[in-house]
Amino acid sequence: MTLLKIEDLTIAFGTAAPVVDGVSIGVDDGEIVALVGESGSGKSLTARTILGLLPDGADATGSVTLGDTQLIGANEALLGSVRGVRAAMIFQEPQTALNPVQKIGWQITQALQAHGRISKSEARSRAIELLELVEIPDAASRVDWYPHQLSGGQKQRVVIALALSGEPDLLIADEPTTALDVTVQAEILDLLQRLRKTRGTAILLITHNMGVVAEIADSVVVMREGRVLERQPVDRLFSDPSHQYTRDLLDAVPRLHEVRDRLHEKGSTEVLRLSDVSVVYPGRFGAASFTAIEGVDLTLSAGEVVGLVGESGSGKTTLGRLALGLVPATTGRVELLGATVGHLRASELRALRRGVALVHQDPAASLDPRRSVGQSIGEPLVVHKVATGAEVRSRTKQLLESVRLPADFVDRRPSELSGGQRQRVALARALALSPKLLVADEPTSALDVSVQAHVLELFAELREEFGFACLFVSHDLAVVDSVADRVVVLRRGTVVEEGRAAEVFRNPHHEYTRHLIESAPAAPVRAG
Amino acid sequence: MTVLDEPVRTRTRWSGLTSGQGLVGVIIVGVIALAGIFAPLLAPYDPLEQISGANLLAPNADHWLGTDQVNRDVLSRVLYGIRIDLEIAFVAVPIGAIIGGLVGLVSTLHPAADTAAQRIFDVVLAFPALILAITLAAIIGPGAFTVGVVIVLAELPIFGRLIRTSVLKVREQPYVEAAEVIGAGKLFVLRTHVLPNSLEPIGVQVALSLSLAVFVESAMSFIGIGVRPPEPSLGSIISDSIPNLDINAAFAVGPLVVVALLVLGFLLIAQGIGRERRS
Repeated sequence: MTLLKIEDLTIAFGTAAPVVDGVSIGVDDGEIVALVGESGSGKSLTARTILGLLPDGADATGSVTLGDTQLIGANEALLGSVRGVRAAMIFQEPQTALNPVQKIGWQITQALQAHGRISKSEARSRAIELLELVEIPDAASRVDWYPHQLSGGQKQRVVIALALSGEPDLLIADEPTTALDVTVQAEILDLLQRLRKTRGTAILLITHNMGVVAEIADSVVVMREGRVLERQPVDRLFSDPSHQYTRDLLDAVPRLHEVRDRLHEKGSTEVLRLSDVSVVYPGRFGAASFTAIEGVDLTLSAGEVVGLVGESGSGKTTLGRLALGLVPATTGRVELLGATVGHLRASELRALRRGVALVHQDPAASLDPRRSVGQSIGEPLVVHKVATGAEVRSRTKQLLESVRLPADFVDRRPSELSGGQRQRVALARALALSPKLLVADEPTSALDVSVQAHVLELFAELREEFGFACLFVSHDLAVVDSVADRVVVLRRGTVVEEGRAAEVFRNPHHEYTRHLIESAPAAPVRAG
Repeated sequence: MTVLDEPVRTRTRWSGLTSGQGLVGVIIVGVIALAGIFAPLLAPYDPLEQISGANLLAPNADHWLGTDQVNRDVLSRVLYGIRIDLEIAFVAVPIGAIIGGLVGLVSTLHPAADTAAQRIFDVVLAFPALILAITLAAIIGPGAFTVGVVIVLAELPIFGRLIRTSVLKVREQPYVEAAEVIGAGKLFVLRTHVLPNSLEPIGVQVALSLSLAVFVESAMSFIGIGVRPPEPSLGSIISDSIPNLDINAAFAVGPLVVVALLVLGFLLIAQGIGRERRS
C-alpha cells in the first residue's frame, strides 16, 4: 500500500524560478526509496516538505500525503502529530544532531515524552530497548553516557534510535552515512536494512552515493535541477538507465577493479623519503599523549603517485602534512627533495617549498575569500619572485587555461565560483611553480561525483603535462585506485599494507585492507 | 570540456549600508553630521553670543529651540555641540581602534606578549567607564581632550580582544596553511592574508564604538568633567537645561533628541554591516 504520495510538488523562493518543479514520488509500506542527485537538485528540500521543515520564504504547492493526511499547508498542530510519530528524520551529522551536554538516555526520554505520557522508569526501559534495537552494545549502562563517549557510528545509531522512538512508518534519512567511515557506513546500512525487515519501516533515503543506493534501495528516483528524471527499480537503473544524465552520473562513479593499463615510468630520483618516522602529540592538561604516526617508512620517486588510504584517525592527513614539513617528526628522518627537513632554517625550508605544493580538501576554505582568483594563483610566483607585474598576470592566465578554466576568471573572487571551479583554481595555484611533489589531501571528497570525475580526469592530464610526484590522500578506495600507481594502507598510524595499486586492491594481503574493500559500497558496472 | 556545476551568486561589499536598517542609520547619522559640519552656515546666532532680553525664552520664530539661562540661542549651541561631539568621536575611536588593534596583533605573536596584553586589558576593563573618567579628569583636568583619552582607553581592550580572537581564528584557516606551503614568509602571510581577513569584524565594532563615544561625551559633560563651558557640547547643553526645565522644556529636548538619534543611527549602521557579513 502506498504510504507516502508526493504529487506535483513545486517549491519556490519568492518569485524566483522554482527549485523543486513538479516532483511526484510514491513510497510504499516497507519500501526503501533512494532519492539521488547532485547538490542543488532539490532532493533535500523535497524530503523536508514531508515534515514541514522548509526554510523561511520557501513556498510549496502541490500535494504531499502521508497515509491520508495532507501535509502541504498543514498547521503546526497537525505537523506536530506527524513529526517523529508517523515520519521521522535521521540527519547527516550525528555530531550536531545530538545535544552534547545531555546523556543519550535523557535525550531519548525527552523524545518519548514528547510523543505521549510515559512514566520515568518506563521511559528509561524503553530507551534501553531502543538502544538495543539499534545494536548499541551494553545498552543498559551506555544509556547514561554522553554523546562524546560514543564513536561516530554509535552516535548515528543513537540518532536512529531517537528517530524510532515514536515508532514511525516512514524514516527520512538525509545522507545518513556521508559523515562516516566506509566500514562504519556498511554497518549503518546493514542496520537500516534490518530495521526495515523486522519492523516494516519504509525509508526515504537521500544520498549522492550510488554505491549506497545499490547496497540497500529497492527503487531509485533520480533528480536534477528540481525535476525527477526517472524512477526505476534499483537493478534496472544500474543495468538500463533510461536517461542520459543517469548514464553520465553512473559512468562518473569511480570503481574498484576497473581494468586499466596505466603504468608510469618510475623515475630513479627520490622526491621524498620517510625513515622510521613517528609523530606524537604531547598530552596536555593531564591527558595522555597521542601517537598519530608510528614507525612509518615511505619513499616516493619522481613522477610517482602514491595513494594513502585509511579511515579517520589513521594518520593519513598527518603523514601528508609531515611530508611538507608542516608537522615536525617526533622521531625518524624526513628527506624532502634531498634535504633533511627538521635540520633546516626557516628560510631554507621556505626555499625548499618552491618544489612542493598542497591541495586541500575544501577549496572554499583554502582560497582566501578576499583575494581574486588571479592573486591566489599568482601568489607562489610573487613569493618566490619568479615573475612580476604583467608577467604574473599572463602566467596566471596560462595556468587557468591548463586547468581548463576561462582566462577571464582572473578577476573573480572565490565566492563567485562553484566548488569544482574552486578546486581547479587550487590546482592551478599548486602547479604554478611546477612542483616536484604535490600533496593532495582528499582533493575531491567535497565535490559531486560528476565534478569529481572531471577533476580526476584533469588531474591525470596535468600529471602528464607537469610530471609531478603525488601523495594522494583519500578515504575513497575507488578514487585512489583510479589515480595511484602505488597504495599505502594506514591504520592507527602504522602502515598495514603497501604495494602496487592493482595488486593491493585485487589481491589484498592484510585482513584490514580486505575489510576496507568489502565495506566500500559498490555501484554495479553497467553492462555495455 | 564543460564545467558542470554552476557558480554561486555574488554580493557587493557595502550592500549592508545601501538598504534596510543600514541605510536608515547612514541617513540619520549623515543628516546630523552635515548639520554639524555646516553649523557656521546654518546657525542663526553665534553659540556664545548673549542676546539681550532673551532669557529662557520658549521656542519662537527667532529662536526655534528657545534661549538658555544666559540668553544664548539653544539651536545654535546644539548645532555647534554636534560638531564637537562628532570631532571627539571620529578622532578618538579610530585612535583607540588602531592602538588596541596593534596591541591585539602583537599579543598573537608571542605567548608572553599575550599574557601582558591580556592583563593590561583586564585592568582597564575592571574600571567602570565613569570611574575611569572621573579619575582621569582629576589627574589631567576636565576638557574635550580628557573625553578623548577616556574614549581611547575604553576602546583599547575592546578592539584589542576583537583583533586577537580574529587573528587567531584566521591563522587556522586552510588558506593560511596554503600560503605557508607555497613558501611565503611570516610577514607576507600576515600582510596579505591574516590582516585583511582579521579586519572584517572591525566595521561593526567601529560603528558600535562611535555610538558609545557619543554617549561617553554626553555623560562626562553632563556631570561637568567633559567639554568646558562656555563651549557648547550636547552633554553640557543637557546639563544646563536641567535646572530650567520648568521654564523652557525645549531647551533639553533638542540635544536629547540629537544624542538619541546619533546613538540609534550608529547602532543601525552596526547592525546593517553585521547582517551583511553573516549572509
